[in-house]
This record gives sequence, C-alpha cells and structure tokens, in this order.
Amino acid sequence: MIRVVTLEKIDPADMAFLTATLYRAFGLGTEHAGDRPVPRDAEMDDGRLDAVKFLQDVAPVRTFADDKVLYITSAPLALPPGPLGEPPCWGFSQYGGERAVITTSKLPERGVTEASIETWRRRLAREAIHAIGHLWDLHHCYDAKCAMHPSWSPALPANPEMDLDTFCREKSERRIRLAKT
Amino acid sequence: MRGPPPRHPDEQREQLPAVEGVIADAAELQPGNRVVYPNQGVCEVVGVEEKDIAGQKLQLVRMRREEDGAAVLVPKNKVPSIGLRRVATGEQIEGVFHFLAAQFEDPELDWKVRHRDNADRLIAGGVLGVAEVVKGLHSLSRIRPLPAKEREQYDNARHLLVHEVAVSLGVPPALAEDYIDYALMPPAGVKFDLKPPPTPVLLPSRPKRRRPAATEEEGIEDLGLGDLGLGDLDLGEALAAVPEGEAAEGEGAEGAEGAEGEAEGEAPAEGAAEGAEATPGAEETEEEAAPRKARKAAAPKVPAPKAEKREAKRAAAKEPRRKAEKPAKAEKPSKKPAARKAAAPAKKAEKPAAKKTAPKPAAKRGGKKK
Ligand SMILES: [Zn+2]
Ligand SMILES: [Zn+2]
Repeated sequence: MIRVVTLEKIDPADMAFLTATLYRAFGLGTEHAGDRPVPRDAEMDDGRLDAVKFLQDVAPVRTFADDKVLYITSAPLALPPGPLGEPPCWGFSQYGGERAVITTSKLPERGVTEASIETWRRRLAREAIHAIGHLWDLHHCYDAKCAMHPSWSPALPANPEMDLDTFCREKSERRIRLAKT
Repeated sequence: MRGPPPRHPDEQREQLPAVEGVIADAAELQPGNRVVYPNQGVCEVVGVEEKDIAGQKLQLVRMRREEDGAAVLVPKNKVPSIGLRRVATGEQIEGVFHFLAAQFEDPELDWKVRHRDNADRLIAGGVLGVAEVVKGLHSLSRIRPLPAKEREQYDNARHLLVHEVAVSLGVPPALAEDYIDYALMPPAGVKFDLKPPPTPVLLPSRPKRRRPAATEEEGIEDLGLGDLGLGDLDLGEALAAVPEGEAAEGEGAEGAEGAEGEAEGEAPAEGAAEGAEATPGAEETEEEAAPRKARKAAAPKVPAPKAEKREAKRAAAKEPRRKAEKPAKAEKPSKKPAARKAAAPAKKAEKPAAKKTAPKPAAKRGGKKK
C-alpha cells in the first residue's frame, strides 16, 4: 500500500490522477492519507526544508508492513552539501525504507489550462514514482526516459515520461512480489 | 581523461601494489572494525570463532553485513585472499568524486574484455575500482543501452558504491547516490573545480590456467574437499566464501557459473551473498555441503535451464531457513533481509532470458580462458 500525505491542500483531481498513476506503476493500492504539518525542525533559515531532517521528524501515518509513505510539500527541499556541492532536490527517500518526500516547487507552473495542468500532473507523478522507486530499492538509472533517471539530468526531456524502464520496472516488481510473500 | 587502465601483461598478482586498505592478515581485524567485503558490501567485524567442520577445527572470522544484518563467516586463513579491505577513507572518497566527475572519453568497447575487467575491478579494485565500473558502464550506456548482464552489473556496482560512500561519509544511502550522480551527470551549467583524478587501479594479468592459486588449493584441502575436483574450478573468490556460506548450497550453482566464466562479477557476488544470508541458520553440516559441491564439480557447465531449476530448489530450501533466522536479526527489524534475500532467486529468473538472447556465454567462456 502506498499512502500519500500532503502538507498543503491539493486539488482532489490532481490527487486522483496521482494515486491512479502510482497504482499503475507499482501495482499497489494507493490512497490519500490526509495532511500533516511541516516539521519545524526541518525548516531552514532560507525557507527551504532540510529533506533528510524532514523524513526523520515528520508526523507519521499509520502503516502496516511494507507500506510506503509519500509526503508531498510545496516548500523547496534542500540536501546537505556533498563532496562536490549541494545536489538540487526534487525529492528524497529512505532507500529501501518507508518514507519519501517530494516537492512541487521545482515543477513547471501548474497554470490553469488543461495542457499545463496535465503537464504538471504528469511531472508530479514522475517524481512520485522516482521517490517510491527508491523505497523499493531502485537506484538511479541511466535511461533518461526512465523515472529513476536523476531529475536534474541535462538528458531529461522537458516532458519526461512517468514510467519506469524495463530494468527498473522488473526490479521493483520482484521486490514487491517478494515483500508480499 | 584516460579510460580504464591497462592490465599488467606479465606481472604476477603479488607484485602489484595492494589496493589501499586491504587486510593482509586476519590479525588486523578487531571487533567493531568496519570492512568492505568485495561484491558483498560493508561489514562489521564481530569476532573470531572456532568451528568444527568435517572433523577439522576451523577459525572463522564472523562479520555482520551492515546493510541487512546478514552474517558472514570467512576462514581466518582466507582473509588475505578475499580482498577484504577497510572502508574507504575520506581522501579516497574525495578521489572517487573527482574521478566520477571527470571527462571519460573511451569506454572499452570489447565487451568480453570489459566484462572480465569490470568483474576484477569489483573484487580487487578498491572503492575506486567500483567507481570505475559505474563510470565505465555509464559512459558506455550513452553510446548504446547495456546488455542485460552488464545492466545488472552496473546496478550491482552502483549499489556497492552507494553504500560504501554512505558509510564513509556517514550519510543515508539515497543522499550518497545523489552525490554520486551529481558528479556523474551534473545539472546543466554546473562546472566543478576538479582535481586530477586518482590513478586507476592496475589490474593484475589473468592467470593462464584457471586453477586456483596454491594457497587456495590448500584451503580446499583444509576443508576436505580436494578430492571433489574443486581444484579444477576457478573458485578463488567464491570458495573463500563457502564456509561462511555454510550455505555452500548457494555456492553450488553460482560458483559453477563463475567457473564457467560467465558473469563472474555477478555470480560469485550473488552466490556469496546467498551464503552469507543463509549463515544465520548456520547449522548446515559439511556433509550437506559436500554433495552439492560434488554435483557442481561433476557438471561445471550447467546449461541455463538446469541452473535455473537448481536456483528454484535453493530458493525453496532457503525459505524455511529464512524464517528461522528472523529472530537473530531482531536488531534490524526492517524488511530488508527478506527483500534482499528474496531478490536473488528472482534475479535468476532474468538470466535465462539474457542467455537466450545471445550465444554469448560460450563466446565469453572461450574469451576468458585464453
Ligand atoms: Zn533519486
Ligand atoms: Zn530505469
């Protein structure tokens, strides 16, 4: 089961698109599990949220074995700088674990036209699949058409597909199948 | 930047400088030390224990794989030959990042050479060797999609690198992976102030014969298995993992595959991992293990479907044991062990497909033995 938790209000149609897409991508029931407040400890001076702290401190939701929880925030997320600097952050996951968070702050404007809303929804779904993919032990993928390709990659098309490539899909299917047995 | 380094044409393995941090003697290991077992990942040393195997007292180093809590046992005298090394230092990790971010012009295009070299890098190349595999295959993927076997190798190498970087830097794995890919495929417009990358690890020349080195043969005799024809199999790496595997079961199928010359990068890893995982159930006796090895020795060239069947059998056999070992892993209640363990048999399912697509294994075998 995938439980989606929002930190701000979200259009019910956007949520319906997201849960349907996640269900298709992983074959797992997906539901909106309500709202939670922003964890104060994760707030940084520059207005961003520390993604690592966020996952440690955010209020939990009730889960059962192998449930995955995806938090969605509109606040920009930040990662601690690494050896070559700070990677941009679309989302962050506890690899092989339970919680992931994604931000809508880097998505293209949602806008009001049917086309712009569709683009926004698809892009949100892609980031959600990426984040949940990490929860199911997926690593990044070199295929720019795969949702596990890093979201910042210059090779990523402007309107990326919201799908896993064959390798990643099969790997996630195996992990999910085995978790179920 | 140059591509992968050349092999030393004639030099013996022993004459090459050891990779930094390699444990040359089990006496160096203290409980609490964190070490990297090539192809297995980061382990914490628990201690040394003595076991009676086939009437011989064997000193075993017990380790715990950090990622999933799996128990790993290595005979003390095998420690120098399995390439156990200390977790990369901050300096080594820095070098890895400057290497990952450097321009890479010429991926090895001969897949036979590449696959073999990459398997060696994962075993003997230290953390930089692992990074070389990731970067080399990544560069190649930009020219054309990787064949199934190398796609798997790429993912395995990535998994090992992510976890070693995570442990060395003290960060969560997903963050380590973001750091790695920030270097490997930086966002548009990002330029790094790079230092010259460290010198790539020199690979030893492959022995002409596929027989294990003398020390390894001694090891086999120690286990009373010398008469099973194991000496003819190049199980240097896999064999070291056998007793800890006590799940020599896993070794059986996988080890044979490794000896066949296919996917040795993957096979021993997988096999040894199996062994490692099955270990908590450690009660398996050598009598059980030996027949399996005999089977392996008797039919080293296992066609794919048979290997698959065996794999399935192993998976089935493993199931109860897995449950039994749960309590032992109480300190790590996550589903990881199950997921990981279960992953191996499933992984197998892909192999036949990969084999079917091309007559590669045969070609590769030939290539490797020369
Ligand atoms: Zn990611
Ligand atoms: Zn992929």
